[in-house]
Amino acid sequence: MARIITNYGGLLLAAMGQTLLLALCGLFFACILGLVFGILSVLKNRACNIIATVFVDIIRGVPMIVLAFYVYFAVPMLLNNILHLNTMLGMKGQITFSALQAGTICLALNCGAYMAEIIRAGIESVDKGQMEAARSLGLPYWRAMYRVVLPQAIRTMIPSIINQFIITLKDTSILSVIGFPELVNTAKNVVANTMSAFQVWTIVAVMYLVVITLLSRLAKKVERRLNRGRQ
Amino acid sequence: MGVNKNNVKIHVEHLKKNFGKLEVLKDVSTDIYEGEVVVILGPSGSGKSTFLRCLNRLEEITGGDVIVDGHDLTDKKTDLNKVRENVGMVFQHFNLFNNLNVMGNMMLAPVELKKATKPEAKERALQLLDRVGLAEKAEAYPAQLSGGQKQRVAIARALAMNPDIMLFDEPTSALDPEMVGEVLQVMKQLAADGMTMVVVTHEIGFAREVASRVIFMEGGYIVEEGTPEEVIDHPKQPRTIDFLSKVL
Repeated sequence: MARIITNYGGLLLAAMGQTLLLALCGLFFACILGLVFGILSVLKNRACNIIATVFVDIIRGVPMIVLAFYVYFAVPMLLNNILHLNTMLGMKGQITFSALQAGTICLALNCGAYMAEIIRAGIESVDKGQMEAARSLGLPYWRAMYRVVLPQAIRTMIPSIINQFIITLKDTSILSVIGFPELVNTAKNVVANTMSAFQVWTIVAVMYLVVITLLSRLAKKVERRLNRGRQ
Repeated sequence: MGVNKNNVKIHVEHLKKNFGKLEVLKDVSTDIYEGEVVVILGPSGSGKSTFLRCLNRLEEITGGDVIVDGHDLTDKKTDLNKVRENVGMVFQHFNLFNNLNVMGNMMLAPVELKKATKPEAKERALQLLDRVGLAEKAEAYPAQLSGGQKQRVAIARALAMNPDIMLFDEPTSALDPEMVGEVLQVMKQLAADGMTMVVVTHEIGFAREVASRVIFMEGGYIVEEGTPEEVIDHPKQPRTIDFLSKVL
């Protein structure tokens, strides 16, 4: 164990860095997607509601590993060989995604769909009298949403959002299948080199455990602080 | 104070409102003049709250016309937000913004809508809080206030926009009995100052004392209207008599 830590510890830590980088990129875009689709689903407009529902249903209905293959392999093929977008754009080569780009898209779509549901539920949990009172004062819908409804919705959403962040962080391991050098992918290579499956996977498990426990602790703290402000 | 019969603030003509297949307002017409305090009485389900909510179009209007200060609320071109700036509303459940303290509640709309600068809005908010007897609660959050205090803040919040019409939707129905008086007191003061008010309530005493006109509604129609003496003390319609015999 000690030999593996001294020889490969730096490599695995760097891979953990890659995992966190991927998770952060994914979460950033997931928040944007979640907010857009979450709001689409609460608007009083059937077309918007349907768009949001279809997005959420598709993403929830497809396993992340399939989504990963789809974005990394299928979408470039669609763009290049079927739509011939690369020649239309005057490109010599093929349109491709790097593993980081494809991974970010996957996480953003996957986490975004769940975030949309969290945000929808959060907005719906705010008493509709809040919106009515704001509108009765003459505030336009979006201003009322931004100044009155969303601040209250976010409070109830925070625990679920942090939970979703943790799930997404763990889901980055799925993206080892498209060759992104995150922790699991790197660990597989280390195992292949050292034949020390027990030691390597123990180290990897502990690394995930430590990072996620720290995040959970932080989440609890944030939650408690928010609740304190409420009284 | 006094009613100015030359100035119609709200003109309602053949107003209809359906919720799906349910007809809540069937045909309501009335004029509300400047300085009037109109109290709307009626059993629950009579459409009185819906009627009130049509006056600032919190409810979509199914048919007929509602004209507020010359603005036709059913016209798609009417800027509803502009009309609502001049029509304050007080709700049964207060609906104070829970994420903001009392000052935040009172300053939000005037500042956001550029009716006042921050210092102006603050000064006016403090004046109004003083008027409703809650100057010391400026920094409190809604969760720290009693029901009566919340409702007084809600009234002050509506007044912060300097409206010329105030709508009250059962403002005392959600209050503990001992807190009803403090809210009615603020409303009486407002009436004495000449505010045009439309009040949906079950407080017959308030209607008798403050109303310049009482409207009795049932089944989506105005059944009877007139002075408090006429409608409350000498009702003519059997349905009004029946209702009053149950509540008095």
